[in-house]
Amino acid sequence: MPVVSAFLMPGNPLPFLRQDNPPWAPLATAAKAAGEALRASRPDVLLIYSTQWFAVLDELWQARPHSTGVHVDENWYDYGDLQMDLRADVSLAQACVAGANAAGHRSKAVDYEGFPIDSGTIVANAFLNPGGTIPTVVAANNLYHDFATTEALGRVAAEQADLQGKRAAVIAVGGLSAGYFDKDIDIAEDRIVDEQSDAANRALLAAMEQGGADRLRAGLDDFAAAAKTDMGMKHLAWLLGGVGDFKNAHVHGYGSTYGAGAAVVEFKLA
Amino acid sequence: MSQGKILAGFVAPHPPHLVYAENPPQNEPRSEGGWEPLRWAYEKARKSIEELKPDVLLVHSPHWITTVGHHFLGVERLSGKSVDPIFPNLFRFAFDLNVDVDLAEACCGEAQALGLTAKMMRNPNFRVDYGTITTLHMVRPQWDIPVVGISANNSPYYLTLDEGVEEMERLGEATRRAIEKSGKRAVLLASNTFSHYHFHEEPEIPEDMSREHPQSYKGYKWDMRMIELMRRGEIREVMRLFPEWVEEAFAEVKSGAFPWMISAMEYPTTPAELHGYGTVIGTGNAVMEWRLAA
Ligand SMILES: [Fe+2]
Repeated sequence: MPVVSAFLMPGNPLPFLRQDNPPWAPLATAAKAAGEALRASRPDVLLIYSTQWFAVLDELWQARPHSTGVHVDENWYDYGDLQMDLRADVSLAQACVAGANAAGHRSKAVDYEGFPIDSGTIVANAFLNPGGTIPTVVAANNLYHDFATTEALGRVAAEQADLQGKRAAVIAVGGLSAGYFDKDIDIAEDRIVDEQSDAANRALLAAMEQGGADRLRAGLDDFAAAAKTDMGMKHLAWLLGGVGDFKNAHVHGYGSTYGAGAAVVEFKLA
Repeated sequence: MSQGKILAGFVAPHPPHLVYAENPPQNEPRSEGGWEPLRWAYEKARKSIEELKPDVLLVHSPHWITTVGHHFLGVERLSGKSVDPIFPNLFRFAFDLNVDVDLAEACCGEAQALGLTAKMMRNPNFRVDYGTITTLHMVRPQWDIPVVGISANNSPYYLTLDEGVEEMERLGEATRRAIEKSGKRAVLLASNTFSHYHFHEEPEIPEDMSREHPQSYKGYKWDMRMIELMRRGEIREVMRLFPEWVEEAFAEVKSGAFPWMISAMEYPTTPAELHGYGTVIGTGNAVMEWRLAA
């Protein structure tokens, strides 16, 4: 079995940057608990997809051996700097590029000093993989890819990891409901922006807990009808592509990030 | 102190390809050239800026997207390396720019006074986006004029287009008020591509111009129709058609720079001068100038 664990992680950096803020603290605690579960699964590599890394031409795969440096979020710069510390599994990233190209999804590896790794990837990696010791394969959110294409990319990544005999953890980085507060709020009072989005998030999380890829797919359809979604929830497409199916899930935490929905979920694999 | 004024406004789009094609020392990758007609259009804009001798350049960029309000660069000197996440093969640029923090704060204050959420970006490690940098480099490669950098608030996408455009127009009004009170001579830069339909594959040699042409005939026709109206000074008609243009040409002006600038200039009936038009991976790019004062 190539895939040994799978997680949904928040992409918004606020719970990482302000772990002491009461509405965000449970998400930070949950993210650390997910980190423990991840390490217990002893992965050789993390297969990461973040909704915040945009691509518009080819699908991009991060192949810089070690990305370091300071990243400042374009929105949340007041809350502190983020330290990039991301190692790539270069041979697997190259294999994913080749595999995705062979499957008809034009792909390219990127390896540039100073490349702006997105906030979501940085904070998910920092929570799950402190010190960045486990290598990663990070794939971009191509804005023109649909759910099915993204799922196919997740499948390619898991297959390539398997071909290299690696134990992989699949990481979906992104939010739930995407409606947010567009005016200043007291962050100590942060909450989901409206009740309908909150209810939609809870229903989607319940579908994950009950388990089975089919139930989650149906849950995602309902979710899209009820709430603004983070990028069509393509991060979950990546996850489904990677794991194929799952038994059930444990929600480590659910909360708001400036009005938007976020959760830390551990998927129990079949 | 005499009243400040807006000397001119430019549509100054930011495909990083134009910087790449020019091979300035700040940019790492090297090219064989390409997109010459657009770069020659920018030569004319550079000449205008040289003649106008502005105290400050204000740029509104769609690649600094903010969700909570309109943000202004608020650190006196910002430097670093800006790598375009979309075209990292073309744009890895060592930037070093001076910000007119006083005017930025004044714009921010006026925006707040007009009921907008507005804030100053004070983090010295902030990496300036490639849209801001490309536009500034293309109009003033000497980098010797202080700038005011303004984010693109996400309202045109998050709210209705009308609500978003109305915010941008209010931001323009605030910008004008701040400039007038500052006593400064200002140039506005709307960092926007027009038709934004593009190819999904890059040629082996990105600057291979045998591969460059409009991706969409519909987008091209929209651009020509709007440019012609701008050249005739029919700006109200441009703004009336704006939502249709955005919709049908998938125009990047949706992100707000264009309505911001036009509102700041009080919907000028002065004919705009087209310095040039060209496509970049199929998108429509016009370099245009509204000269309001000498
Ligand atoms: Fe752009």
